[in-house]
Amino acid sequence: MAWGGFIAVIETDPPSTFNAGDGQIFAMIPSKKTFVLLALLVLPILTAGCTTPTHDLYLFGSINSAGRVAGSRDTALNGLYRRTPDGGFAHLGLNYPAMLTGSFDPRDARVFYVAALSGVLRTADGGRTWRIATSWDMTESKSIMVDPNDPDTVYAALPDGVGVSSDRGTTWQRRENGLPSRGKYTQVITVDRTRAGRVLAGCEVGIYLTENAAKSWRQVLPTRETVNDLQQSPHDPKLWLAATQSAGALVSRDGGLTWEKIPGVPSAHALYNVAFDATHPQRLALASWTYGLLTSEDGGANWTERNAGLPAPPRVWRTAVDPDTGRLYAAITGRALYVSDDFGRTWTNGGMENSRIQGFVFVPKSAR
Amino acid sequence: MKMILACLALATAFSTPAAAQPSFTGPVPTPPADTRADTLRRAYLARVNEVIDTTLAAVAPGQPLSREQLLAKLVRHQDAAQVSQRVLELLREPQSGDMFWMFPWTAIAYLGRDQLSPAARAAIREAWRTYFPLRGDTENHWAMYYSSLYLMAELYPDEPGETWFNGKSSAENLAEARGYLIHWLDLSTTIGQGEFNPTHYIGEYAIPMLYLAAWAKDPAMRQRGQMKLDWLMADLAASTLHGVLLGPNARTDDTSVIEHWNGLVSYFSWTMFGNTPPPANYGGWGVYFALAAENYQLPEVIRRIAVDRAGDYVQRDLKRSRQRWRYSDVAMAPICKTSYRRRDYAVGSYQGGLADPIQTHVWDVTWAVPDPRGVHNTMFSVHPLSSDQVMQTYFTELPDAMIDGLASAGKPSYDVPDKLLGCSPFEQVFQDLDTVIALYDIPAGTRFPHINGFFSRDLVNVTEDPSGWIFARGGNTYLAYRPLAGYEWQQRLGYRHLPSTGGGYKWERVDQGDKLLYSPHRQNGTIVQAASASEFKSFADFQAAINALPLTFQLSPTPAVKMTTLRGRRVAFTYGQAPVVDGAPLDYTRWKLFEGPHLNAEKGSRQLTITHDRLTRVLDFNTLTITDQVNE
Repeated sequence: MAWGGFIAVIETDPPSTFNAGDGQIFAMIPSKKTFVLLALLVLPILTAGCTTPTHDLYLFGSINSAGRVAGSRDTALNGLYRRTPDGGFAHLGLNYPAMLTGSFDPRDARVFYVAALSGVLRTADGGRTWRIATSWDMTESKSIMVDPNDPDTVYAALPDGVGVSSDRGTTWQRRENGLPSRGKYTQVITVDRTRAGRVLAGCEVGIYLTENAAKSWRQVLPTRETVNDLQQSPHDPKLWLAATQSAGALVSRDGGLTWEKIPGVPSAHALYNVAFDATHPQRLALASWTYGLLTSEDGGANWTERNAGLPAPPRVWRTAVDPDTGRLYAAITGRALYVSDDFGRTWTNGGMENSRIQGFVFVPKSAR
Repeated sequence: MKMILACLALATAFSTPAAAQPSFTGPVPTPPADTRADTLRRAYLARVNEVIDTTLAAVAPGQPLSREQLLAKLVRHQDAAQVSQRVLELLREPQSGDMFWMFPWTAIAYLGRDQLSPAARAAIREAWRTYFPLRGDTENHWAMYYSSLYLMAELYPDEPGETWFNGKSSAENLAEARGYLIHWLDLSTTIGQGEFNPTHYIGEYAIPMLYLAAWAKDPAMRQRGQMKLDWLMADLAASTLHGVLLGPNARTDDTSVIEHWNGLVSYFSWTMFGNTPPPANYGGWGVYFALAAENYQLPEVIRRIAVDRAGDYVQRDLKRSRQRWRYSDVAMAPICKTSYRRRDYAVGSYQGGLADPIQTHVWDVTWAVPDPRGVHNTMFSVHPLSSDQVMQTYFTELPDAMIDGLASAGKPSYDVPDKLLGCSPFEQVFQDLDTVIALYDIPAGTRFPHINGFFSRDLVNVTEDPSGWIFARGGNTYLAYRPLAGYEWQQRLGYRHLPSTGGGYKWERVDQGDKLLYSPHRQNGTIVQAASASEFKSFADFQAAINALPLTFQLSPTPAVKMTTLRGRRVAFTYGQAPVVDGAPLDYTRWKLFEGPHLNAEKGSRQLTITHDRLTRVLDFNTLTITDQVNE
């Protein structure tokens, strides 16, 4: 899952983690005891003109990974990269070629969880040391998210269901009651920021919802093939978007209970992920191997291919939107990270040559 | 594209400089007439020693030791100081290789524990803290990963998580590795082996099992290693013809699918049974088995199954597909394998459908040849499936990049219309003795809506008969191939592996003299009937006998065949229905784990009975016991 997103400043006890757009943003004022949602629409105004980003950007991915097989010699550093002050990216910690995405503990951003080929990886010291948190029976985690309202609880999307830890990743249990015995391949898991234990899962055969921390699930939308991404709007917590393999893009305006297809978005080929722009409530972006980068600037009513200036063919593996600036990212697999400051009208090469970026995560600098 | 093992590329990476390899260049070996235990043991150890000798002979003065050469020196207790220094040099560099890094360094750690310098041993230990190998995504990866982790955790017990790459303590690693290995053994001894009968991947299982048998401290795990190695070798023995592995195979490659001998598996036939030459460079991996091979004693009953075939026999086995993550009603599909072995040829198949997404070989006839090196001694047909969704069934990936990535990942033929490798959900196969009927019902819109039949350059007297049959002779085997729809002939280009200094697998297509029967019809079928030349006075008599067989078929609305086989069996097979033999439908649900004159096991039993003439060995994973019996 890629992480575009929104920015929110929250004061909460405990502090909260948010998942929206195509990313996960943390904003913490840990000294406060009350929950106050400040930003969403306001913060972009406050941050307009700021020269210093208020978020760290982390990328999960690999370099020179085309043709990589188990046992290959790695020719570059892979895994986690962090944006440097000069706009470049510096590798952080472990050289691991199969990290997909991550989720940070909002109380302490040195603690983060990574969905990876080996299962769930966890670090408690900002990436200096790591532990495979899961055992042999939970492999190839595809997505992971800390519950912002119950940050001891972590949800992992697995190719054979869902794993949950209630103790910060120390132990894991399967919680799949209500998921089908077959069809529970789970590509994405996203926690509703408004309520602890309310989680949506994008599975092979549809979208599933739990409202009791995965003690039980129910299908809210059937699909024929996998749901690849699920994101909650930073502007309206009832608004969710889904990107799917063969059902196009879907929207829910009631917190994920009901879904409808978004007209104007092609569905013959897979959509990989979707991103909200936290700085602009009408801006949305979709990534696709086939269609490239699709954007809407009117809340999804109309969509435009924004591929001019991207390498051809524009194999967009992930997209994200910087919550500080509205900068649009397009990760072109095997090529580079491209950036646009006019929401896709023009693009420049943003580095990470020969990369496959699997995920974006924006973390408030205050969370360090 | 995620990690998929490219055996050829890895074998190349592991290979040491070429040196004289007597067994590869010499004559085809013959099993010894003297079958006394000490004679056989000496012959086995001589073969093992040849591998070590050849590896050491490739050491060039002044050149750094390869990892294989380093291991060979440890086996021979040579030059400990030089080896220790080389260990330090190798570990100063960034490490790569994942589980293919783990098992060689496990071997170095064990073989070197009484030879290497303290600094070298410390460097190895430190590497298991700092290098983070991937766990992989398939059973052979996990077998290597967890066997290595198990052994290293035993070698370094009672150490905390911060001393291991994965943050888990020795005790945690030991428990996790043990848990996985027992889980995997349970699967393979109850519902069947995954990645069954592979032409290369047998090394990924046999080597870890040997290491467990050789080095595990826990006697129960040591016993499991030995028993599973027995199990694998028994399956191999029963699946070969004069040492050459036969189809079907869960995993093979573009070379081995037409030249069955040319795979790592022939190294194991050579080492264990001494009845076929090993491949060049011992398949790249032979040294990793040879270095600990003295710890294994091949049971005589298994050797005899490989080398002493009294007569024709049918063997039926239950195997298991690769894990299906999605787009399937089952997590692992049962694979019902049928084999018919004769002196001159063998016929093997499973019932069709998907076993592994890329490298499966579903059925063939393979004829015996005096020397299998370079011979394409097989005949079969295949639907060349290329499907994103099938790839997604087995791999947890987004759809589009996988197929693009396969070519550079060592699977160059996956998305090529003339491919011969692979299985298809639109192929169903029925075998009765030496008759195979393969039916195809390919939906409209499928990429590559045709079938390919393989016609080897090593066939002679290929004759297109007006009846529709195509007759040919391979070795001492007569073959009749009946395409059920129109076809044309194409030149079939093979794959030649090229050196690659960068990432990725490089190859070129080369004319190897083979032909492809290209049949561009979605509803289609192939019938193949084999027979020994000695059964007929002449090739013409064989053709007449085939032409006289009662045969009717249809392609629409559903492909179906009714015929009487050369063996007088009345068979009927309709796509989507159970085959019928002499009026009785074949019930695949009753397939046993093994059933035949040599190997027998009930489904779910965890118990294999291996039999040859008066010898019997029973491997019982319920009790971790091996029982041998000799009948008077």
